[in-house]
Amino acid sequence: MADQNFKSEPNRIQYLNEQKAQGRYLLGVFPALYPREILWALNILPVEIWDPPGTAVLANKHLQPYICPIVRNGLELILRGETDIVDGFLFPHTCDSLQNLASIVNDHLELNKPVFSFYHPKMPYTAATQKFYRAQLEILINQLTSIFSPIDTDRLTECLRLSHEIGRQLNKIFKLQRTNQLSFSNSEYYPILRQGEFLWPEDYLKLLNEITAGETIPSKPDTAIVLSGILPNPVEILSLLDKLNVKVAADDLLNNQRRFYLPQSKFSNPLDALTEAYLKRPPCSTIGTPISERLNHLIKLAIGSKAKGVVFLIPKFCEPELFDLPQLKQGLQKAGISSLVIETELNCGLTGQLTTRLEAFIEMLGN
Amino acid sequence: MAEKYYAGIDVGSHSTEAVIIDDNKQQLSFSIIDTGLDGNAAAENALNLALAKIGINRENLNGIVATGYGRANVTNAGKQVTEITCHATGAHHIFPQAGTVIDMGGQDSKVIHIDENGQLVDFVMNDKCAAGTGRFLEVMAKRLGSDLDQFGNLALLSEQAVPISNTCTVFAESEVVSLLAKNHPRDQIIRGLHQAIVDRIWAQSQTVGIHGAVIMTGGVALNQGVIQLLEDKLKCELLVPPQPQIVGALGAALIAHRNFR
Repeated sequence: MADQNFKSEPNRIQYLNEQKAQGRYLLGVFPALYPREILWALNILPVEIWDPPGTAVLANKHLQPYICPIVRNGLELILRGETDIVDGFLFPHTCDSLQNLASIVNDHLELNKPVFSFYHPKMPYTAATQKFYRAQLEILINQLTSIFSPIDTDRLTECLRLSHEIGRQLNKIFKLQRTNQLSFSNSEYYPILRQGEFLWPEDYLKLLNEITAGETIPSKPDTAIVLSGILPNPVEILSLLDKLNVKVAADDLLNNQRRFYLPQSKFSNPLDALTEAYLKRPPCSTIGTPISERLNHLIKLAIGSKAKGVVFLIPKFCEPELFDLPQLKQGLQKAGISSLVIETELNCGLTGQLTTRLEAFIEMLGN
Repeated sequence: MAEKYYAGIDVGSHSTEAVIIDDNKQQLSFSIIDTGLDGNAAAENALNLALAKIGINRENLNGIVATGYGRANVTNAGKQVTEITCHATGAHHIFPQAGTVIDMGGQDSKVIHIDENGQLVDFVMNDKCAAGTGRFLEVMAKRLGSDLDQFGNLALLSEQAVPISNTCTVFAESEVVSLLAKNHPRDQIIRGLHQAIVDRIWAQSQTVGIHGAVIMTGGVALNQGVIQLLEDKLKCELLVPPQPQIVGALGAALIAHRNFR
């Protein structure tokens, strides 16, 4: 059985304070794709901001009602003063809403903290893409080093190794979970993995190593599904899947499997290796992957994991995902794979309709 | 050997229905009561009423399946199944040729695609608001001084509809107040409201497609205005069971028959 310690998340604020006490900088990082290895090498701990708890009130002063809750809740967190502990913010160019949030934070809030943007290229990739991405890495390093620590190339190389090892262990855990060799329920599994959103890499890797080394009791779910979309929230959905004896056998969440794996590179230069890794990322709506590629990826995931269906978990008004969904659903149906789209606010719990839709979908898969 | 009976109970937001069937899947009895505040009590009362109509004791029931939004609270049920599966099962039993089920209940609306065996293929359900549901019609009928029973017929009195841009119950009510203040004819407003609800369910249906014969279930299927305007929009005849409100409960009873024989 998995060690109980895995299942209890460390107190996040206490952990971050301890990291600061060790002389590390903290950077509040909004979703989703960024070169965290560079931050680690600069002694900066990325603290990712995906789905902070609480209801947005202050943020409504700055945002339209139809902005996604990741942006809304993130801004609320800043406005409530609950990000005072971080030394700055990083905004990857994930979507228009996040890009505009970067402008609000940088231009209007007078936080007296540096705000960085990271522009990663979108598909289709051309001959210039590689050069552009590498240049963006250098720009980011220059911006960060001008304010924080100088970069140590040996440490950067070590951070790439750590990142590769983390990705390898995550893949191993995903495989164990897929083949029912882990005893984690869905509602235990995701919170453990999501500790990577704020743990220092060595701490996170230690956690992952303990999981893979631990003894497990195989589980026997009735139904397997692929979980796609942005992030596993509301968490009550995971508990409902547990109650229905459904296992997430493959993951295509932006928050998880779409962004972790750093393959071994032929390049000795770490920036070249990071560039190569970016260009090999799994299909993703936030990098403009053609829908046909993402569809094929999902079909492979479903077939490879023996999943009977795909559940898309999408925060309200998430434009990158929502524009792709009608064609993805249609393509999956043609391939004989049922799918369900759950578009919801974050941290909203389960409404009766949401419960009914998910239960009906699982009933449908069981036919 | 004693006869075997099966019960299905559909605890909806507005009403609770119970259906009793025999071992040959023949419907023997049904009841419809207001749900009120206590779904479990409503389920008990509806079941007792349906049993009393045919003089059968609770001990003669082989199994009970609960469905509807209050299904989880029905303590005497041996199994809980979603109303989506139950409506599909019930609709297929009544009209085996049905490929699409449109269910419009008190607080939600669904379009369900079923195969030739009555199994779910795909479905779409409205979000958490009451737009385009029975509750919407109820609020609008009250605002316009009509009995809900007559509301649909009033929609058909006018050839013209005043366009209603909102199906949000709250905003539509404000819009209706504005239209009345501008002296738009009441019948035209009522037709506009029905057209708005039909446009919404039509848009919902396009995401799963219309397949085969279309059956309409739920309390809104009693509204002739919705039926006629939806037939015009879909360009097909809608099959409506004699008691469209009890199709979910019937499906639950059929699932009880399958599971507890």
